[in-house]
Amino acid sequence: MTFSGRHVISIADFSRGDILTVINAARAIEMQSAPRTELVGGKLMATLFFEPSTRTRLSFEAAMQKLGGRVIGLSDAASTSTKKGESLADTIRMIEQYADVIVIRHPRDGAARLASEVSRVPIINGGDGGNQHPSQTFLDLYTIAKLYPALLDGSAPLTIAFAGDLRYGRTVHSLLTALCHFRVKLVLVAPRGLEMPAEYLQQAAAVGMDVSEAPNLQDAIAQADILYMTRLQEERFPDPLEFDHIKASYRITAHMLSDARQSLRVLHPLPRINEIAIDVDQTVHAHYFAQAGNGIPVRQALLGLVLGVLI
Amino acid sequence: MTTDPPTATNTKVRQVEAIVHGTVIDHIPGHMTLKVANLLARENDQVSIGMNLRSARMGRKGLVKISGRELDERTLSRLALIAPGATVSIIRDYQVIHKSTVPMPKTFEDIARCANPNCVTNHEKWSSRLDVIGHEPLHVRCFYCERSFAASELTLV
Ligand SMILES: [Zn+2]
Repeated sequence: MTFSGRHVISIADFSRGDILTVINAARAIEMQSAPRTELVGGKLMATLFFEPSTRTRLSFEAAMQKLGGRVIGLSDAASTSTKKGESLADTIRMIEQYADVIVIRHPRDGAARLASEVSRVPIINGGDGGNQHPSQTFLDLYTIAKLYPALLDGSAPLTIAFAGDLRYGRTVHSLLTALCHFRVKLVLVAPRGLEMPAEYLQQAAAVGMDVSEAPNLQDAIAQADILYMTRLQEERFPDPLEFDHIKASYRITAHMLSDARQSLRVLHPLPRINEIAIDVDQTVHAHYFAQAGNGIPVRQALLGLVLGVLI
Repeated sequence: MTTDPPTATNTKVRQVEAIVHGTVIDHIPGHMTLKVANLLARENDQVSIGMNLRSARMGRKGLVKISGRELDERTLSRLALIAPGATVSIIRDYQVIHKSTVPMPKTFEDIARCANPNCVTNHEKWSSRLDVIGHEPLHVRCFYCERSFAASELTLV
């Protein structure tokens, strides 16, 4: 399926071939050290943020500017439109008059899909409530593929461990969906009550993915090529004492990594709170800042593809 | 031309009084009978209800008859959501002229609210869209927020 003019709403809309197209485009962009400022010259990206997310907005803006495009932002869309009672559909109909691509962030689940039904220009979902954040998933996959090219050719199945809040963590849900296109072993480690929802386990089972549960973080570390950490959010725990206890057992330190494979890399969607001790940053295993940096070429790739300047 | 009302000798034993023209909804899961009746009654027709009727297929079932009306597509969709598997018979002059299982659409558009309180369709003036992803029991997924629900969790619009 051609990318030009396409919306980027949910990772489930993308085939294996589509994912490879994005990864290859990001790699090509990153290989060319000189900025490709001629690529989307004259095109305009609007960022429509109904809730603040500075890092997502800056990453898209940097990506567009590196492609030579221009950026206009409605960083406080909530106060400029919603408080005047304007519907989301009308806000989109107004913005699409002058933008060539719209990046939307919205607190409601499904808002980006609704926007894509109204808009004639491509909509890129920069996060819709607790639902999807597809550019994050593409950058996670790109990061894993850069570390382990075997992900793409399937020559040796990687072992990827997900740790933390697997029930509400949307990044791990979307990543699981995307990984269903590849040959991986998945190891899950989550506090009781925050396990991976059955519907995602069924998705994995449907493609024959090898999924197992690890009893604790240390056990997952011993098996994994990639350890993907997620935040634990206090509001998910009715009992604050329980939260303190669980928080302590879902924290990795440099010491815990001392027996890990040299090649183990720790990923995290950031910002981290307590899940990764500062001393991990100095180890060879820390890869979360490099992961965030991969957001730029991946978002350049997505923008270039939907604007039809990359194929 | 009229037909004499059927008697116990020319039809199966009737558990609910016969109607001249209208629609009979049979094989309603027992606990959904009143819900089905309410769905139809609020549209101002004469409705009769049979509850806890014996059924070889389902043990106890419900049955609802509406006089003088055949169901439009939207009403059939709503029926499919709350009583999947029910049978719909169209009656003219006491005769069943058509009988079938309530048709199951692939998608319910603007039939029920998405059960996710944070779904955009519950906050914008925008029709819901729930795609059928499984039967027995009926499950749907919201096209917008991508959450899945059992049909029993949903409220009709
Ligand atoms: Zn929904």
